[in-house]
Amino acid sequence: MFANNTRAQSSTAARRLMKEYRDLTADPLQDMITAGPISEDNMLEWEALVQGPEGTPYEGGIFAAKLRFPSDYPLNPFKMTFDPPLLHPNIYPNGDVCISILHAPGDDPMRYETASERWSPVQSVRSVLLSVLSLMHAPNSDSPADVECAKLYRDDKPEFERRVRAQVKSLLGI
Amino acid sequence: MSSDGEEEFEFEFEDDDEGFDPEADSAGESISDAEAFDIMSPTLEEPPEKKPYDVNYRVRTMQEIMDMQTKEVKKVQSLLEVPADTAATLLRYYAWNSEKLQEQFWNDPTAALVSAGLSPPSSPSTSTQPLPSPLASPRPFECPICCMDYTKEQTATQTLALGCGHRFCRGCWTEYVVGKITTEGESGRIQCMESGCSRIVRAEPIDELVTSDVSKKYHNLLNQAFVSDAPSLRWCPHPGCEHIIECSQAPQKMLNQLVPTVTCRCGNDLCFGCGYPASHRPVICRIVKLWEKKCADDSETANWLQANTKECTKCQSTIEKNGGCNHMTCKKCKWEFCWVCMGPWSEHGTAWYQCNRFDEKSGSDNRDHQAKSRQSLERYLHYFNRWANHEHSAKLDADFYKSTQKKMEQMQSSANMSWIEVQFAKQAVDTVIAARITLKWSYCMAFYLKRNNMTELFEDNQRDLERAVETLGYSLEQNIGDVGAIAKLRQEVTNQSAYVQKRHDILMDDTLRGYLEHRWEFTV
Repeated sequence: MFANNTRAQSSTAARRLMKEYRDLTADPLQDMITAGPISEDNMLEWEALVQGPEGTPYEGGIFAAKLRFPSDYPLNPFKMTFDPPLLHPNIYPNGDVCISILHAPGDDPMRYETASERWSPVQSVRSVLLSVLSLMHAPNSDSPADVECAKLYRDDKPEFERRVRAQVKSLLGI
Repeated sequence: MSSDGEEEFEFEFEDDDEGFDPEADSAGESISDAEAFDIMSPTLEEPPEKKPYDVNYRVRTMQEIMDMQTKEVKKVQSLLEVPADTAATLLRYYAWNSEKLQEQFWNDPTAALVSAGLSPPSSPSTSTQPLPSPLASPRPFECPICCMDYTKEQTATQTLALGCGHRFCRGCWTEYVVGKITTEGESGRIQCMESGCSRIVRAEPIDELVTSDVSKKYHNLLNQAFVSDAPSLRWCPHPGCEHIIECSQAPQKMLNQLVPTVTCRCGNDLCFGCGYPASHRPVICRIVKLWEKKCADDSETANWLQANTKECTKCQSTIEKNGGCNHMTCKKCKWEFCWVCMGPWSEHGTAWYQCNRFDEKSGSDNRDHQAKSRQSLERYLHYFNRWANHEHSAKLDADFYKSTQKKMEQMQSSANMSWIEVQFAKQAVDTVIAARITLKWSYCMAFYLKRNNMTELFEDNQRDLERAVETLGYSLEQNIGDVGAIAKLRQEVTNQSAYVQKRHDILMDDTLRGYLEHRWEFTV
């Protein structure tokens, strides 16, 4: 029955994404974040630029991420990948962002995340990007994606911050 | 050949008299009874009697399960004075544990309702109300999910909000609910789409939103959840069977002492304790699970590797030495080492082709380890092969019945026997098959039993049954001769199958009683 629905679904996704794009352009989240489709022909592939928040080791950096939307968006969440990857306890070494709000409700068999923390169709690109910003302020080292990095963050914060700053610098080409 | 069978029999008979089991004597008696066999009263048709290790159970139909739910809902409905669907949602949330529900509800009705995803009775909507309430007059509306616009009039008919007031269009609701039901298999815990809202979508709007087959699936899932929530219910695992077994005598904590084998109305056995789709008596569920896992995963491959191979000390590649001297050169990393002591070959100096460090500790440890591993592999294979052999025989059951059926017809025509007179053969086959299943599991049991006197008694019982079954199996495969031979064969088969039955009962009885008396010790 989903095969028949694919067309309807992808037009729903396109309509919804178009609206989200309009909203984000009208109110660009205090200039911290810009996001939009890479090409107007394909609304399911976006690029986002995230500014490192002030007061964090990410300050001064501008980080590019790819957002890939499923054709049944917003029933299912999109995927977010930093390219190039970003050193952060909740970002996999390949750049994939691991954040509970991007987990489909059925994804958590252990039920350690409550339903309200996971994806629901009323979440949006804006709400997810805001969560990513707050994750840069306060990494969650209890459920890490990059275990080594989480260990470093927990045991030796100055060293963690030093490495992040070095990465930011090299990304900016300084 | 039949005289061989007789000898076996005699041996068995004497073995019984040595007597470790009080019931062995009666086994002897039953043989002599059977020898004075009376045509009109086949000894095999004894009414099944209730043993202390048997459980009481009932086979239920789906309709009965639904009635049980309705009854429970009605009870709670009148006790708590809430509407029926509220009572049902509450019961589902509390996994149909009505005592716990009542306790929590009387303690704090609001909290109980809210945690089950329902609003408290006094205020029809939750405190946070970001969207127009369902009662407010309809106005133009844009669905926050699909961004479709709806006019005033359309809002009333084409959008929907639950008691929490979060309004979405019907199309989005339907897609969401269908996805939950068909792909995630959810039923009683489908929540409002708004993030952070834990309001439960009840049966009524769901039935209205989805097509009838999805609705049917939804109600099936609700029923399934009821069955899996209730510890006293279990689905019959056999394909195509829709019955449910109800048994309250085999709770989880009793499964160390009980093997609650039950027979469904579809004619198949199952274990109520673990859902195994056949009898696994006399082995308890826990041990069956271990055995299944052991046989299924590759742990035994690893065992073989351990017994037959070594690893390159440098790159850890697995090496099987199939000839040649002890000077090994790893094909992969070119590391040279000694097969005997596993040390680097360079340390062997000029002592080529002979390891002068043979008796050093590491070398001898390594050899001990390998010998042990090989021994444990052989032990496992001993039990596994016997287990698998009976498993294989069971697969040929249908053929066995067919060939016996043919012989029965042959006997009816050639010896002019009546239908009832040849039933002894079918009964004997039934006996053999049932005994084989028990024997099969007895090897699994023996594998895990600690070596002690009790285990020896168990293995004696096992051996006696194994021999009796083999003798009977052999007799059943005999060709049908003339009238005299048939009479003799019939006598033999009847005797032997009575004996098998007896041995089977003894093994089962002793083993299952053993659990109740805590006689068995397992090494796990």
